[in-house]
Amino acid sequence: MENNTLVRAEQLTKTYYPGGEPVVALRGVSFRIERGEAVAVMGASGSGKSTLLSIIGGLNPPGGGEIFIDDLDLYSLSAERRADFRREYLGFVFQQFQLIPYLTALENVMLPLTTTAYSGQIKKEMAAAVLERVGVIDKSRRLPNELSGGEQERVAIARAVVNAPPLLLADEPTGSLDSRTAGEIMDLFKELNNSGLTILMVTHNPDNCVYMDRTITMQDGMLISGDREEGLPVAIPAGSDRCQGGQ
Amino acid sequence: MSLYKIVIQNLYRRKIGTLMLVIGQAAGIAIAVALFMTVDAARLELGNQIDEFGANLVIVPRSEGMELSYGGTSISQVSFELMRITEADLPQIREIPDGNSINVVSPKMVSTAELNGKPVILVGVLPNREFLMKPWFEFAAVDVSRPEEEAKDPVHMELESDNLLIGAAVAEAMDLSAGDLADLNGTVFKVAAVFKTTGSTEDGLIYAQLPVVQELVGKPQELSMIEISAYCNECPVEEIAAQLTAALPNGRVTALGQAALLRGETIERFALIANLLAAAALAAAILLVLTLMTGAVSERTREIGIFRAIGFRRSHIMQIILLEAFTGGFVGGLCGFLAGSLVAATAGFYLAGITGAAAWQWNLLLPIACGSALLAAAAALTPAIKAASLDPLEALRFI
Repeated sequence: MENNTLVRAEQLTKTYYPGGEPVVALRGVSFRIERGEAVAVMGASGSGKSTLLSIIGGLNPPGGGEIFIDDLDLYSLSAERRADFRREYLGFVFQQFQLIPYLTALENVMLPLTTTAYSGQIKKEMAAAVLERVGVIDKSRRLPNELSGGEQERVAIARAVVNAPPLLLADEPTGSLDSRTAGEIMDLFKELNNSGLTILMVTHNPDNCVYMDRTITMQDGMLISGDREEGLPVAIPAGSDRCQGGQ
Repeated sequence: MSLYKIVIQNLYRRKIGTLMLVIGQAAGIAIAVALFMTVDAARLELGNQIDEFGANLVIVPRSEGMELSYGGTSISQVSFELMRITEADLPQIREIPDGNSINVVSPKMVSTAELNGKPVILVGVLPNREFLMKPWFEFAAVDVSRPEEEAKDPVHMELESDNLLIGAAVAEAMDLSAGDLADLNGTVFKVAAVFKTTGSTEDGLIYAQLPVVQELVGKPQELSMIEISAYCNECPVEEIAAQLTAALPNGRVTALGQAALLRGETIERFALIANLLAAAALAAAILLVLTLMTGAVSERTREIGIFRAIGFRRSHIMQIILLEAFTGGFVGGLCGFLAGSLVAATAGFYLAGITGAAAWQWNLLLPIACGSALLAAAAALTPAIKAASLDPLEALRFI
């Protein structure tokens, strides 16, 4: 039987030492995300949700515990192999879009394909196809500063999914957008999720939760809400109360 | 999209930074190229000057004697024994290790003689060698019976055993013209040609075939002097002189052209200073590249974080930074070569007193541009390592 778990976190801990003083960001966080799920991570500032996202993204080794993606122990890989893993398995949507300012929308979307073996033409076609999908193909030749916030977000999402990763990580993707545009972007996330993409989204905005299957809520580096299965908190069930515990 | 496309786009975006990178590198390369080419042109000009001096090595019979002088003034020379050099010694000259640098070997017998009852200095030569070595000799008048080819250039003169070539001063003093007959030590000779004045003591000499003069003075096969023209532009004349001394133990070898050699020393001193200046200019260019690229890396921390987050390896980040420096260095090298060559071609006189223009050495364009690019890339190595080592998390300020 196929294992349906895409992400499995076990007893993740992380402590930072800003100015030499220990600040605990994660205190034994465990959960699972199934394939095709859309999960929101909510919590107050400093609750550890961005740290959690960065650990899942292979950018921030945990102090303790393990994170498995597709049954692969992410931090058993070397830093360079983790970079390859990010390219093949993960899509990132950052706060503030984080597009490269001197590259056009099309070139920004092509970035994750830069170091792949595809031909230039194939890369261009792949990028154009995904820009079409997110609805900004007509802006493909524009630089980021020539795009609206919503359009930049769409380009950022296109860049995150151009290499068809199984998992999309999003950090406050609608934080810089007005509510109408944010709604459109969340519709786009939902559409991507409906097509099979697994999404883990850090958000402050409770409105976003309605687009997600469930919400993980964090406080002081711990999960404070979620179902448990074999001792691991997995989710808050989908439904009208899916945002409970969120801000 | 390729790494190089990212590099080009970034260089294009950061116009001022790119311009500073190119100009800085170009300035360093231009100074180095200008100095190198000026020194090169000065050396070439010196070589030509030395070659124009004709012989730059003279071999005379060694004498076991003692120079008597007082206060730098030569009073007399006491000779105990005078050794002999002969035609049999000639083949050994080209046998020396630097024999390939020997251009012309002109043996001669020098003696005094009486021409129409007046004392003159008679020189026995092989005309096709002597005048090849001394291209400033030109005929003022040639016996009309001589072939036209011989009249054009002394080097083509086929002297017969009763022929003489006479210097301008001798011709004037003795009222001799081409075609005249003259008595030389009791034998009648015909003046085959008269030289134009050279403005030197050569105007007072008369020339005949070497064997004829050897016969006249009763020293067949013997030589009083061997003049040698060597390509000293490519070899040290002192080295050849030492080799000749070893090869001809009976001869005393003297390197001529001291003025030129002195100038050569001046040029070499200038070359040393030029090398130091060039090194300083290149060091300044390297520092500028280092500073600019370090600044560029700091400016692009977030961008590098994005690259890393979306799957760029550290080596990819290094490649981007190094390629940027390489590209800027390459363009700077091209510009620097053009600017430096232009300076060398137009300001060589002011830099090193050379009278001719330094040649444009186009064959150096690509090597210099590539060298400049590699230099810039080397200078950018530290910033590139720093960029590759950036923590993507810090870069993205995830915390």
